[in-house]
Amino acid sequence: MQKIYATSRALLLAGGLAGALFGCKNVLDVPVESQFVAANFPTTLSDYNASVGAIYANLSSNYAVPYWRMQTLATDEAILPARDGNFDDGGQYRQLHYHTWTPDHPNVLTIWQWAYGGITTCNRLLNVTNTFNFTAAEKEARLAEIRAMRALYYFFLLDLYGNVPIVTDYPTAPLPATQPRAKVYEFIESELKALTPKLPAKSGTSATNTQQYGRPTKGMVYALLAKLYLNAEVYGAPARYPDVVRMADSVQANTNYALDARYRDIFLPNNGPQIRETVFAVPYDQQIPGNQFTRFGFFYYLTQAYGFNVGLSIAMSTTPEFYARFNLPGDARTKTWLSGPQFVPDGNGGFTTTPVYYPNTTDQIVINPVLTLVPPKPMDLGNTLATQSEGVRSIKFYPDPAIIQATRLNGNDVPVLRLADVLLMKAEAILRGAPATASNGEMQTPLVLVNKVRARAGAPAAASIALGGLLDERARELSWEGWRRNDLIRFGQFETEYPLPNDALKMDKSTFRRLYPVPTIELRLNTNLQQNPGY
Amino acid sequence: MTNQYFSKPVAQNVRCVLLPLALALGAPAAALAQQTVKGTVTDEKNAALPGVTVRLKDGTAAVATTTDGTYSIKTTGPADILVFSFVGTVSKEIIAGAQTSLNVTLLPDAQQLNDVVVIGYGTASRADITGAVTSIKSEEFNQGVLTTPAELLQGKVAGLNITKSGDPNQRPSVVLRGPSTIRTVNGGVTEPFYVIDGVPGASIDLLAPDDIATIDVLKDASSTAIYGTRAANGVIIITTKRAKPGQSRLTYSAYGALAKVSKKIDVLSGDELRQYLADNKTRPLTTPTDDDGSNTNWQDLIERTSYATNHNLSFAGSANATDYGASVNYLKNNGALINTSLERLIYRGFINQRFFNNRLKLGVNIINSSTTQNDIPQAQVLPGMLFYLPTVSPYNADGSYKENYTRTGQGTLNPLSLANNNTYVTKDSKTLVNGLVQVDVLTGLKFTLSGSTQRAQTNYSSYLNSQSGLAVNLGGVARRAEYVNTNDVLEAYANYDRTLGLHSVQLLAGYSYQQDRTNDGFGITTQNFANNALGFNNLYLSNPSSLAQIAFDNNPISTLRLLSQYARAQYQYGDRYLAQVSLRRDGSSVFGVNNRYGYFPTAAVGWRIINEEFMRGRDLFSDLKLRAGYGVSGNSQGFDAFSAILIYGTPPGSSKYLNNGAISNVVNAVRNENPDLKWESTATANIGLDFGLFKNRITGSVDYYIKKTSDLIDDVLPVSSTEFQYTTYTANVGSMTNRGIEVALSVVPVQTGAFTWRSSLNFSHNTNRIDNLSTDRFTIPYIQTAQLGGKGQSGNYSQIVQPGSPLGTFKLWHYLGKNEQGVSTYQKADGSVTATQPLTTDMQEVGSAQPKLIYGWANTFTYKAFDLNFLVRGVYGNKILNATLAGLNNPADARLQNIPRFTLGESFNDINGYLISDRFLESGSYLRLDNATLGYTLRPHTQYVQALRFYVSSNNLFIVTKYRGIDPEINIGGLTPGIDNQNFYPKTRTFTLGLSASF
Repeated sequence: MQKIYATSRALLLAGGLAGALFGCKNVLDVPVESQFVAANFPTTLSDYNASVGAIYANLSSNYAVPYWRMQTLATDEAILPARDGNFDDGGQYRQLHYHTWTPDHPNVLTIWQWAYGGITTCNRLLNVTNTFNFTAAEKEARLAEIRAMRALYYFFLLDLYGNVPIVTDYPTAPLPATQPRAKVYEFIESELKALTPKLPAKSGTSATNTQQYGRPTKGMVYALLAKLYLNAEVYGAPARYPDVVRMADSVQANTNYALDARYRDIFLPNNGPQIRETVFAVPYDQQIPGNQFTRFGFFYYLTQAYGFNVGLSIAMSTTPEFYARFNLPGDARTKTWLSGPQFVPDGNGGFTTTPVYYPNTTDQIVINPVLTLVPPKPMDLGNTLATQSEGVRSIKFYPDPAIIQATRLNGNDVPVLRLADVLLMKAEAILRGAPATASNGEMQTPLVLVNKVRARAGAPAAASIALGGLLDERARELSWEGWRRNDLIRFGQFETEYPLPNDALKMDKSTFRRLYPVPTIELRLNTNLQQNPGY
Repeated sequence: MTNQYFSKPVAQNVRCVLLPLALALGAPAAALAQQTVKGTVTDEKNAALPGVTVRLKDGTAAVATTTDGTYSIKTTGPADILVFSFVGTVSKEIIAGAQTSLNVTLLPDAQQLNDVVVIGYGTASRADITGAVTSIKSEEFNQGVLTTPAELLQGKVAGLNITKSGDPNQRPSVVLRGPSTIRTVNGGVTEPFYVIDGVPGASIDLLAPDDIATIDVLKDASSTAIYGTRAANGVIIITTKRAKPGQSRLTYSAYGALAKVSKKIDVLSGDELRQYLADNKTRPLTTPTDDDGSNTNWQDLIERTSYATNHNLSFAGSANATDYGASVNYLKNNGALINTSLERLIYRGFINQRFFNNRLKLGVNIINSSTTQNDIPQAQVLPGMLFYLPTVSPYNADGSYKENYTRTGQGTLNPLSLANNNTYVTKDSKTLVNGLVQVDVLTGLKFTLSGSTQRAQTNYSSYLNSQSGLAVNLGGVARRAEYVNTNDVLEAYANYDRTLGLHSVQLLAGYSYQQDRTNDGFGITTQNFANNALGFNNLYLSNPSSLAQIAFDNNPISTLRLLSQYARAQYQYGDRYLAQVSLRRDGSSVFGVNNRYGYFPTAAVGWRIINEEFMRGRDLFSDLKLRAGYGVSGNSQGFDAFSAILIYGTPPGSSKYLNNGAISNVVNAVRNENPDLKWESTATANIGLDFGLFKNRITGSVDYYIKKTSDLIDDVLPVSSTEFQYTTYTANVGSMTNRGIEVALSVVPVQTGAFTWRSSLNFSHNTNRIDNLSTDRFTIPYIQTAQLGGKGQSGNYSQIVQPGSPLGTFKLWHYLGKNEQGVSTYQKADGSVTATQPLTTDMQEVGSAQPKLIYGWANTFTYKAFDLNFLVRGVYGNKILNATLAGLNNPADARLQNIPRFTLGESFNDINGYLISDRFLESGSYLRLDNATLGYTLRPHTQYVQALRFYVSSNNLFIVTKYRGIDPEINIGGLTPGIDNQNFYPKTRTFTLGLSASF
């Protein structure tokens, strides 16, 4: 026994010695050497700016593809048909086209998470801003910037999903509950109204414009409020057409906003702060991913003629029905589409007389605007050279010659709100009953406003304008800019069918589909969420 | 007689190393001596055997042989029986008689090759083991061009499922007793924990198979839990070769091997494809881009007859108080695909010196392993060599590689160009230094301090040259990256062994500290070189035209610390009753501050029935033992060290924004904090029976286990975006259970003077089931995995992880045959039939990748100097998703990509035969003649050469399987097992000629 006792003593001693050497508890608090953590971030102004950058990087990451698809592929403005089974991708594009999406649709999930990811980031950064070492004026300006961006994310949710939780604090109380659409509308309105005095106005100096580019300004808030008021009835609130006019005039009051002379320039790869009519745009670059208009919407047999050599998708085009609106003589906006025999571009928005041939042939490429489906595959055009050439392609977001195979990105910034849209919103509000007003000394009737937009595009002036013509004018002016679904719902035409030859499937015309469903996963994760009616 | 228990025949159980010590402390004075017997004990090679216990069978006297093998013992009379015993040999009993000189030769114990088993922090006699442990000695290792220790065990250990493709640079996937995690981070998550010569967590890349003496596989938690949190997937303990006391040895072994791909996919030749299109009245291929009149067999161009060579020189000695040894190993293994190879050079040396009458032992062990791996872009080459049109020549008329970048379909890049214009080189240098201090404090009490540092420096270089189809018009893209990983381990433990009468106790207590620091380094990618002459060697000469063309690696440094205390007590009574308890407490920096410490207890009992009174005279049995154990072990392998804390970083996909005209970095949360993150723990109950029949002509064991892993960690758990900053979370969410039975049998059917046949068979059955995936806080109904892509199937999942189903459950479209038009039809969710591509919601569960049975059957025949070995192994009852064949089976795209002969039996009109459905979910069962080896051993009667063995060996001689792909040995590890998706590096058939010489 003695020995066992001695042994255990020895063991304890050995263990104790080792424990004393290494046993201090904080050995397990390993320093994080190469990553930012709460202890070392954010501390400097650069840290702060990099944090705020997350709001914008998040915005650009999904705006021009998944968000755009939800707003566009569900309309006649664009279609992503399968090509002999390619690009069926679990049916996600035809579900949008035929309004048969489910709460499991990948875009429905991605965009919900994208918007709330942006909102949560804004909420967290409001805390950071409040505790950061800023002067009172700096603090107010930065808080206003973040709240305006949060309102923009909420606007996307309001428009797509309607009834969503309103989360304004971080850390978030668990499981926030769904709020009715009208509540969300009110929240956004009150936020935006509170922010206008605190945000900067667009200036005449290019340095300031560069600084403000892609960020909230007074003009952005006015234009967004105009959007909100124009759709007030859709969003479950009383009509506000005079307020649309008021907001449009507030934008116009700042004469630094003006329609740019050349329609094409607004969307070129080098677009940016120099575009005077942009009220708010999402900046893209080869290093800022998210814009893939060329990858999905251009015709890849034309790549070399346009000065680059990258493999592209074959899939996306507009529908013949939508393209038929581009029928005005001299309209620069028609040139954003590729249809018929193809020629080498002249680099200035026009074309040379040199034809472009299919590879290794002397057959000129001819794009056929008609989309003839080939059953039995659903919404499928087949994959022959001829059927690959079906579908009007878009060069509105003109191919970026800096595109590379690995990423296939465009550097073209994508406008969210711009002056032409504001003018057309004002025209529509007046047509819907608001009194016409003068702006900068000019009496602006709907016809005056529409013709301003037409004149810039080189299209003939209209003799008269009614709501139907206005919707077509919006289609011409704002094609592929992500507003078509919003417009069609407001005009009650979201359920209008536009069948293609041999179309075996039918659109689901249920009006509950004017709202997207809450994604399944989110419903499961937050039991206080309510699914939208009909799903 | 105070020191009587020292001299008592400590019996079979005590380790041999203790015996000289016991002698040194005072030999017995036997009063009744009537006679002294002296002699020498030698082994089968006539070399002196020191440390052999020589004792009187009925009495207390015992001595040990000295370093020259001699002994001297006093007997009480001629009737005394002398017992000579030594670890690993057959004991001998000899009646003393009248002789005073008695020389004895002890022969190796063939039936009891596994006599001494390495357990964590110690060794034990196999007879005393209470857990499920399988030991494999070097003689039993698999033969052939095997580069990792796991391959040596393939088919030899019940319950151990090892899969390996033909890739010389790919590690085998190892799964013991079924999967026990749903994490995805990296391979270490599901692999066993390796301990090399007492160094826990050492890299298995450090070892040449030639240097390994034994491998012990600890399977149940009662055995593994002493390694606590790293042991949930089992522990594999490797012991390297040493010299026996008093001996020196010098061995040289070498082999050369030739390998050929054992099976190709039978795709059409150019002429056949042209004919096929003509027969089906479709437009001919476009000339010259898609048809230049060629008949190119792309598989033949990419595959080659490869060779491998291996040399190993090793020496060791043990004299007086010193053990030493060194070895050098060179391996060159060229892959069966061009431009793939592994070259490895390992140096190893150790020295142990004992002081103070052997009471202090100091040792140093150093290993360095340098490897160079060459690889090609397999992700493109492997599909390319099947899909690429056979009607196209590899080269243009000017000798440049032919490409058509506008062709759509799959396999659109020239595979030969891919293999020749893209270079991936990985150079890796690993060094392990291990220092050891061992003190015999008191008799039976030993204190060990072991420190080790492993430093791995890895240099990744790649160059996609200006002709590369992966970097068109970029003027060459070069990447250099350099990373250092270090692992520091300090172990301090004390063993106390004591035998008192019929009681025998072994105690262990210890402390361990470990730090693993990984990813310390950097990587840069740049592009645009004036020419390709310099490859990746000088990035300064690149000429990128914009910042976007330079990329830096984002590989954060990850430092993980483990702090542990452990204790174990083993008790034996009367050679019949065995018991063991152990406890380990692990603290890990990985886990949330609220749950950093975990306790891992075990308890086990054993009953050596054979030694019971009632078994006496029952000669049928030569061994019979029942054992049962329960234990809990953890899994903290394969973790990012900072899994539980809030991390800010540049989020992938949204890392840049425009800041005042300048493109700037974004920093945002990339990980949520989880202060409650805790250990995955695996509890195993194991019951086993060991038996020997007919004087151990038949031995074997049967084990049944239930292994339940709870607090499963999901490292990509989706969380509500209305609540969390980042959309996924690392949290504990569920549990899964593996149940199984393992049987191992060894038989010596024939044993005559010249001819012996030994045969061993093992098989095991395991069922895996996810029990649940929910906690109070999180509910996940299922996790979808295995996005395989494929034409028009982007984003579709092929497997599902959900409660009630095993890991690796396939969820696919259900194929219903072809309709009258010859078009494949599928079942929709509502039960109706569709001849078009169904929706993802139409998929149904259709089988699992988990095998029902895995087995191995090894045989050794020896006749005089000849030996013949063969191993048959296989699996039964698993499913493989042959997505490769699905993708190839596309008649409508035969103008864009080649088709297999299989498709000739299909309707040309089948517009959706390529869809990944259960039609391509195939039986993965196979039986493989894995190895056959014929050897001849020469024992020249000279003093310089002990033995010379020549052998010829062949691996993968034949396989019996219904699987239609290249080979059914598809990766079975990880979260998405059993999927063949155009990514299988072909297996080879190998012929080896080898020699080993010992001096």
